[in-house]
Amino acid sequence: MKKQFLKAGLLGLLVAGFISHASWAQSDPTGKRRVTGTYAITNATVFSAPGQAGVKGTVLIKDGVILGTGSGIQIPKEAKIIAGDSLFIYPGFIDGAGNMGVTRPKDPERPKDMVNSNPPDEIAGITPWRSATDQYSPSASQVEDWRKAGFTISQILPEGGMIPGKSAIMVLGDDQSANLLQINSALAANFRGSRGMYPATAVGVMAKFRDVYRNASYALEHEKLFASTTGVSRPQTTPTESGMAPVVQKQIPVIFDASNDLEIRRAISLQKELGFNLILTGLEYYEPVIDLIKSSNVPVLIKLSLPDDKALKAQKEEGVTDATKEQYARVKEAYQNALKQAALLEKAGIPFAFSTIDAKAGDAHKTLKTMVENGLSEKAALAALTTNPASMLGINRIAGTLEKGKMANMIILTDSLFKEEAQVKHVIADGYVFDYEIKKKSSNGNGKTENGAPTKIEGTWEYTSETPAGSNGGEIILRKEGSDYSGSITYDDPSGSGKVSAPIKNVSVNGNRISFDFNVAADGMNLTVNISGDITGNTMEGTMSVAQFGSFPVTAKLASPSLTN
Amino acid sequence: MKKLTLLLSAFLGLGLNLSFAQTPKGNVLIKNATVLTVTQGTQENADVLVQDGLIKQIGKNLSAPSGVETIDATGKFLMPGIIDAHSHVALDVVNEGSSPITAEVRMKDMVNPYEIGIYRALAGGVTVSHAMHGSANVIGGQNATLKHRWGSSNPADIIMQDAPRTIKFALGENPTRVHGRGNGIQPRTRMGVEAVIRNGFNEAIQYKKAWEAYNAGKAQKGNTLTPPAYNERLQTLADILDGKIIVHCHSYRADEIYMMINVFRDFGVKKLVFQHTNEGFKVAPEIAEYTMGASVFADWWAYKMEVYYSTAFNAAILQKNGALTSINSDSAELIRHLYHEAAKTQRYGGLTDDEALAMITINPAKQLGLEDKIGSIEVGKQADLVIFDYHPLSVYAVPQMTFVDGVKYFDIQKDKNDQRQLVSATEMVEPIYLRNHEEDDHRCMQDMDAYYEAFQGAFMGHKH
Amino acid sequence: MKRILKTFCAALLATLPLAAMAQIDGEFVKPRTGKFLLQNATVVTITKGTLNNTSVLIENGKISQVGTNIQAGDAEVVDCTGMFIYPGMIDGGTRLGMVEVSSVPETVDYAENGNVTPNMQALTTINPNSEAIGVTRVSGVTTALAVPTGGLFPGTAALINLNGYTPDQMYGGFKAIVMNFPSSGRRGRFDRRSDEDVKKDAEKAIKEANDIWDRAKSYLELKTSGAQLQYYPEMEQLSKAVSGELPLLIVVDAAADIQSAIKWVADKKVKAIFSGVAEGWRVADEIAKAGIPVITGPVQDLPTRESDRYDAAYANAGKMAKAGVKVALRTDEEENVRNLPFHAAFAAAYGLGKEEAWKAVTINTAEIFGVQDQYGSVEAGKRANLIVSTGDPFETKTQIMHVFIDGYRIPLSNRHIRLYQEFLERSPGLKAN
Repeated sequence: MKKQFLKAGLLGLLVAGFISHASWAQSDPTGKRRVTGTYAITNATVFSAPGQAGVKGTVLIKDGVILGTGSGIQIPKEAKIIAGDSLFIYPGFIDGAGNMGVTRPKDPERPKDMVNSNPPDEIAGITPWRSATDQYSPSASQVEDWRKAGFTISQILPEGGMIPGKSAIMVLGDDQSANLLQINSALAANFRGSRGMYPATAVGVMAKFRDVYRNASYALEHEKLFASTTGVSRPQTTPTESGMAPVVQKQIPVIFDASNDLEIRRAISLQKELGFNLILTGLEYYEPVIDLIKSSNVPVLIKLSLPDDKALKAQKEEGVTDATKEQYARVKEAYQNALKQAALLEKAGIPFAFSTIDAKAGDAHKTLKTMVENGLSEKAALAALTTNPASMLGINRIAGTLEKGKMANMIILTDSLFKEEAQVKHVIADGYVFDYEIKKKSSNGNGKTENGAPTKIEGTWEYTSETPAGSNGGEIILRKEGSDYSGSITYDDPSGSGKVSAPIKNVSVNGNRISFDFNVAADGMNLTVNISGDITGNTMEGTMSVAQFGSFPVTAKLASPSLTN
Repeated sequence: MKKLTLLLSAFLGLGLNLSFAQTPKGNVLIKNATVLTVTQGTQENADVLVQDGLIKQIGKNLSAPSGVETIDATGKFLMPGIIDAHSHVALDVVNEGSSPITAEVRMKDMVNPYEIGIYRALAGGVTVSHAMHGSANVIGGQNATLKHRWGSSNPADIIMQDAPRTIKFALGENPTRVHGRGNGIQPRTRMGVEAVIRNGFNEAIQYKKAWEAYNAGKAQKGNTLTPPAYNERLQTLADILDGKIIVHCHSYRADEIYMMINVFRDFGVKKLVFQHTNEGFKVAPEIAEYTMGASVFADWWAYKMEVYYSTAFNAAILQKNGALTSINSDSAELIRHLYHEAAKTQRYGGLTDDEALAMITINPAKQLGLEDKIGSIEVGKQADLVIFDYHPLSVYAVPQMTFVDGVKYFDIQKDKNDQRQLVSATEMVEPIYLRNHEEDDHRCMQDMDAYYEAFQGAFMGHKH
Repeated sequence: MKRILKTFCAALLATLPLAAMAQIDGEFVKPRTGKFLLQNATVVTITKGTLNNTSVLIENGKISQVGTNIQAGDAEVVDCTGMFIYPGMIDGGTRLGMVEVSSVPETVDYAENGNVTPNMQALTTINPNSEAIGVTRVSGVTTALAVPTGGLFPGTAALINLNGYTPDQMYGGFKAIVMNFPSSGRRGRFDRRSDEDVKKDAEKAIKEANDIWDRAKSYLELKTSGAQLQYYPEMEQLSKAVSGELPLLIVVDAAADIQSAIKWVADKKVKAIFSGVAEGWRVADEIAKAGIPVITGPVQDLPTRESDRYDAAYANAGKMAKAGVKVALRTDEEENVRNLPFHAAFAAAYGLGKEEAWKAVTINTAEIFGVQDQYGSVEAGKRANLIVSTGDPFETKTQIMHVFIDGYRIPLSNRHIRLYQEFLERSPGLKAN
């Protein structure tokens, strides 16, 4: 599945594009090659940067570069015209930290004489020399999912232990191109210990981080002495120390995963103690440290996800004590505060961006809308998706706005971005145009289709899904209990012992859209699998997604609407 | 212009961060209490005036300066804030149990000011706790001394910034089980425990010498010196040898306590406090002569082999042999009634009221190097105070109000019931934690269960 | 006495009455029975008020008289002037005698393998010579319920008196079949099951319990009708709870579980006692209405929820009693059952009141176990389980001066005390010789 990269390093802007072009000078018996790299989206409403009003005009792109925007642009003959009359164009979104398309590398074999108290760095999760590019596949389904949500650039982080390696900035363009924008853009770090060996916990990780950092700076000192003075012993710099060198020399920042306020404080305290440049990512609960973030001037990437409202919906109106009501109120308050946090960052004047890690691409626009409903300005939201991450990643010269000379990255919608009705029609990434089907949305959410007939949900469904492991299938049984649905699903046991059944959880029905989860036990791991899709008559089409492994198409047919078992 | 603003805010922010976190300091006059000063006897119907977080005056008929709140404590008892010399409350991680020596890890990194245990301890009159690394390693991490300033989200606000450095050591069953039996390395026996400590100290001496040689020579012209490998673990051990850190050593059996005394005497280290010390009574004269004493349980025994030959009279024997003795909790429950635990020295050994109260106030203060700041009601000390309805050594006594630095953080009459600072937005019902014989509220070996589950196979339930 | 004085100074004796009957250089003081007159004490009878300047006569293992003017004849007189006599305390739930060192599995005998093991008899595994028994009884706890733990029906609990050389000599005349009611609470901080899963697991477990109960019911019906049934020791024992021959001691803690247990008990028409009941205060009215007695504790425990008031566990017993629940206490301890009086004192201080707290460790427990004719108060005709103290035995500094169990005068010694005697003034001390 994984594509090998042309690892020539950073050859400059859009070198990748030229390589691709070179190969076009030949025949293509697959018939898949595009006819032209020039496009003109005409007469659309163009939002060229956050805070700017939409202006009717044309956007002309060629070979991945914006040739111009606005009115009175001459459209060359080779340009393919996209009629944009009812469309809205925004700069392509930039993901400050993602792991789409990244596969965790296999752990190396443990040496026979390894002692858990002193494991080799590579086994203990300290691998600063690694690059996310080696773990990335541009054709992974998550890349498709996020692109569909409007993301055209992502800084992908490597998977691994406490210092998994260096991130890379990728353009989410054609999967046959080399999509690297910048290699070694930052060093990824987190507080996860390497289970069963040193450092095993967050407190050990912090101590080990100090140790690694300080020794890397002494190693540099040693190298400097060796280069300048005769008679100095040969430096025996380790791969870890070399890998840390650009961080110590402040050429690249550390991008630290810190989900809550306490972790944020820990990362900032390490930064203050050691002096490296810091970017915080994965922020989930940060309300108490907004002032600290502000005063530390640390760039932050918040999670592009919000808490679910299941706990709120489960609150009962009747038959509960006053004490329970007070508890409900506190949960509600916590929920509402979580929705308001992004707005508080804006209010404090902190420019932030997003991280897509742990977020669902399909929920991204809903999440953004919720943040806007809870006080975040549309301008700040768009900035967080475009200009802010461009500045943080140092790519604002080439990305973040729709301007002449910038990369041809944009999202084209049927309405303005934060409108309920807005749907993504096209995404252009690296000058490649990706088209999406526009669905007619149902007007109400009560399990009824447009013509008023209730969607048939209850019953036994036969489904098939296409995964890299092949075709899979089984039965989904759904039954209604009060206003909720429950049921079970059968699937092929990954360990090969035939069909197994699992209960269905978290069923939500909205219009003709259904979504539910179930657990699969595999290899001692417990995976949560989500199926969501749209029901039309007796068929359902949708996707099956597994958090770290991507999403796959699934179709189902209602075999028997009544439940006889 | 924008750049200038950013620069300015960065500059101002930095300025703010450099200045010491300012924690609240209170002013209050507590009137007509029976004042149990612990160090200077008991004063009936006395007043204590607190200003700017410090005890300003103790006496009769004091009047409140303008703006200072007066609390009438007629018929009530006022004692110094209780100090727990052995706790794991408010720590996100307790054990970095992956190596026999982890002197480099700092519990200050893991302080969690949201933990409800802090408030519950305040409701038991405890104002200061010694948040320790666990007992998985022979030389564990550096501990944090906490002041229970409940309500702040900033760990720095509850860390007692003016407390001396302390570190956890552990002898006996826990480190030999984790590393010897669990990982197949030393120590497997109490002999190995001694070797790990002596080896560590000797390595630290070499480490210190290497850096001294480098630092002395690096400025000289034409030198070819290169920096030695940096190692905070050995640096911390060197700091112990230099007397910069107080060692708090988890120990049970008399033989291992005696071994530890000998090791420290050999290396000329005096700052040694024993923790748990269930068989300390057997070597009480040695503990009294050579160490900063012992911090013990009031009556815990028999939960493991090395505490089977214990006695509830341990504290009394230690005390009467002249060893500095304190009573600690090591438990999120027990920390709530240390005043009652201290009273057990009266049932088991007939200690006087002042001796018993000292076990949870001035004695642990001394063992934490804080006797000049806290641990008694004396003019000039930090105003950590508790008001009880009855004498605190009575089993029926209930703490009424608890003050830290003169600020009231617990008031039995006024506080709301639900004290959680953090509420989950996604939990329908908050978790209910029921009592379980295999896993209790004692956390000396916390974080080790997952460790074992992950890689070490089945281990027995273990405590302390 | 002279030799004691030689060994210990008088001052020491004053502070340590416990030493008064301790062993002396190789002699061993055994428990001994006989006729004892406890003379001129304040007698706290529990059931009949507090009697000043009153004496108690012990004969044939029983309290034969309580009064002011007792003709004792040849009785050994124990002068109790200025002291207090209380009934021995009863701990309603312990693992005393069933374990020696809890981290050493070879010494842990309270939890058998299997989910349905009501035929496991606590009495069988009681070690009369457990160090913990000697340590416990000098605190004034003279009787305890030994409770097996483990699966759904882990075994049969037994009441024991803390004196004797065989389990049968110790047996206190009450047994109950233990049921760990399916729990919807989390098992601990590492239990990360979802709310739904926890609920489902509990429902499944209740269904399983119902199936097992139905089987025991069938067993009883068929047996009663004279059928020859295959050997089935689990059902044989469980059917005793179905028939009401033995009560069911239902260990249940979370509020929701207590509510389902109340329904379950009503449904099965079983004679039940609740044990644990940590969240009883949340549903106290319902427990009271159901009329099910409760043995609650430990009192010195953490609240079950973070949002609870800090003293939820301390105040639990008081709140239930106030709602009309019959409340007794337990420590749920093994080696530290001696702390029962302190648990009771905490319950007293946090709402139960001293008088009710005393009942909760004496007569209430006896009544719940149906042995109130023998235990729980200082009354003529009852077993001579008595303690003599310098003051309120709940109060920490109070010393217990004498303990009588089944009329046996118990030596106030145990390993803790002997170690004190040996090591208070160690010889040699610091320097060799």
